[in-house]
Amino acid sequence: MSIADEHFDFQQRMQAQGVIFSFVGYLSEGILFSLGESLREKMRLDATDANVAKRVFSIFVEQVQNIIRYSAERLEPGPPAELSSGMVTVGRDQTHFFVVCGNLVGRTEGRELERRLRELAEMDKASIKTYYREKLREPGPLESRGANIGLIEIARRSSRPIEFGFAEASQDRAFFCLKAYI
Amino acid sequence: MDSLYFPQTERSPLLELDFAKRRMRIEGESYPENAAAFFGPVLKSLAHYLASPAQDGSSSQFLVDLRMAYFNSSSAKALMNIFQLLESAARRGVRIQINWYYHPDDETMMEFGEDFGEDFERARFSLCVLGEDGE
Repeated sequence: MSIADEHFDFQQRMQAQGVIFSFVGYLSEGILFSLGESLREKMRLDATDANVAKRVFSIFVEQVQNIIRYSAERLEPGPPAELSSGMVTVGRDQTHFFVVCGNLVGRTEGRELERRLRELAEMDKASIKTYYREKLREPGPLESRGANIGLIEIARRSSRPIEFGFAEASQDRAFFCLKAYI
Repeated sequence: MDSLYFPQTERSPLLELDFAKRRMRIEGESYPENAAAFFGPVLKSLAHYLASPAQDGSSSQFLVDLRMAYFNSSSAKALMNIFQLLESAARRGVRIQINWYYHPDDETMMEFGEDFGEDFERARFSLCVLGEDGE
């Protein structure tokens, strides 16, 4: 297969799945901003309902910031210049937008994430809203970086329960994946 | 005390803390790279101002106007911290008025306004619907 055939095949498969864009590699705040801008522009051009577009954008930002802050594979130890490895795909199927993110996590962090996501999965919309407000009110420094609330924000803006899972990556790491529908 | 003014950027809101006029306003979108770095100085100045003796009398007042279009979860936490400072100042006798402006079609900002509003007992929190001209 020629490189053109190979990549055309790849491009066609992505398109068939409704992918608007997909990024694999080191994510940074700069990339988050640029991808976010083109996502918003795309939704504007498609005359997407403004409230839906806002929810898609919001979920996209929370997911990518989670990768930037918590991916176990990164080039810089911390801010201001964080480059964290992961992947993000935004697309649209027949009825819904979707945002999928993936990144490596340590075993301990993975277990904690799973516990929190299972907890969220059992809540209905009203409970998620109450839980969000409780977390927001909890005293705590801004340095905690808000991620506890990030997952709740994703659950709150999603129109279906969040899908998530883990795949074995190595002895001490797992690949974490999260998919939200809007 | 010196006032604070941050012009709006692509990712951070216009933020003005005018102590001479006893008012604060925040407008636009907020998803800064580092919410703690952006809002930290604001929280510090506001806390210092609200705790200063001149603000302790019941005659003192403070007006807050918010016109947010979007904010991420870290900014939501920062806004909540600001509101908690305002509510505790109100409990000490400062007359606090907070206006939460939102576009009538904006479900998210309306819902956030309703949510935030439930946390105030002594500070006055008003939901204000923006007209077509943005006023």
